[in-house]
Amino acid sequence: MYGILEEGMPITMILRKQEFIIEKETTVQQALKQIGVSPESHFALRNGELLTEDERLRDGDVVRVIAVISGGQAK
Amino acid sequence: MNYMKCKKCGEKAVIKMRQHKLALCKPHFLEWIPEQTERFIKKYAMFSRHEKILVAVSGGKDSLSLWDVLWRLGYSVDGVYIHLGVDGGVNYSAVSEKYAAEFAHSRALGLQVVNVPQIYGATVPELAESTSRGQGRACSVCGLVKRHIMNQVAYDGNYQVLVTGHNLDDEAAALFGNTITWSTEMLQRQGVVLKEAPGFARKTKPFCRFYERETAAYALLSGIPYIYDECPFSIGSKSLYYKDVLNRLEEENPGIKLNFYLGFLRARECGFIPQKDVSPERYAQRCPICNQPTTTDGLCSFCRLVSRE
Repeated sequence: MYGILEEGMPITMILRKQEFIIEKETTVQQALKQIGVSPESHFALRNGELLTEDERLRDGDVVRVIAVISGGQAK
Repeated sequence: MNYMKCKKCGEKAVIKMRQHKLALCKPHFLEWIPEQTERFIKKYAMFSRHEKILVAVSGGKDSLSLWDVLWRLGYSVDGVYIHLGVDGGVNYSAVSEKYAAEFAHSRALGLQVVNVPQIYGATVPELAESTSRGQGRACSVCGLVKRHIMNQVAYDGNYQVLVTGHNLDDEAAALFGNTITWSTEMLQRQGVVLKEAPGFARKTKPFCRFYERETAAYALLSGIPYIYDECPFSIGSKSLYYKDVLNRLEEENPGIKLNFYLGFLRARECGFIPQKDVSPERYAQRCPICNQPTTTDGLCSFCRLVSRE
């Protein structure tokens, strides 16, 4: 669903229907920090593929961000 | 091309678990989770393949992944889903029930659904509002309701073991909250295995050593559909706040969450924290309505809640 668009375009991070633009190529870890979420509690998926935090994001990448945290008391 | 490699086969890794210094590809990660689960089950003497197990499922990643893993490992596991009547503008309970039911159907597994509003005439948020205990504390009432129903279903169905999908982040957050307030009663209750007692099934948490990101990765990589949203009532809760605090520590200190929890388990083993007293004498009374063990005279906490006493 999400993947590489074309060169020269920024990186788009999508978290809960909200889009964030990353202007420069960077790693998954840095991109997650730039949009204000912890890499410990969020995943990045590109083309449905889970990315490790050192994976380099390229111009035009569209990355889906998933929060892994569930909450509340006494499951 | 540069990429992180799987420690087992050298192929492209999909996850790195910094606390173990271990990166794995998809096939090896999907093998690793059941292998580790089996190791934890044996290490903590949780249950055997001869016992009848009930798993409490919420429709979320942890409980569905746990059910999947136990099923793949060949354990005899049925599920119970508790419909709490939580809407939150997203039809939360109905949607999460759908995920639980679809999971059970796809694997031909038994799922019992307990619908709280239908049986007790009020949703959990309504029950919380109707009592002084629950004012602004829906999570507290929710916990009481779930514990009571899980125990009742386990007892009625002759299940020897009740398992829940608590992961390490859940346990570390609870431990953090109980420690900074020195809630000794709560610390006594927090273990991997809570032994069976008259009227109570044994309770265990086979995923208690997996980080939350690992259970989420297992669900995603296994193609298990689950409800992504948090419970609307958990937003702003202390448990989420503590998880966030611990994750900030983990970012700079890989493994600190794991060590915090394992250190606690070792301290328990050494007798630093006495285990919860579940002796028959402590639970000598039975609730006149539900017949579950209780420490007080008269109705148990749950029956007092639903009868709005």
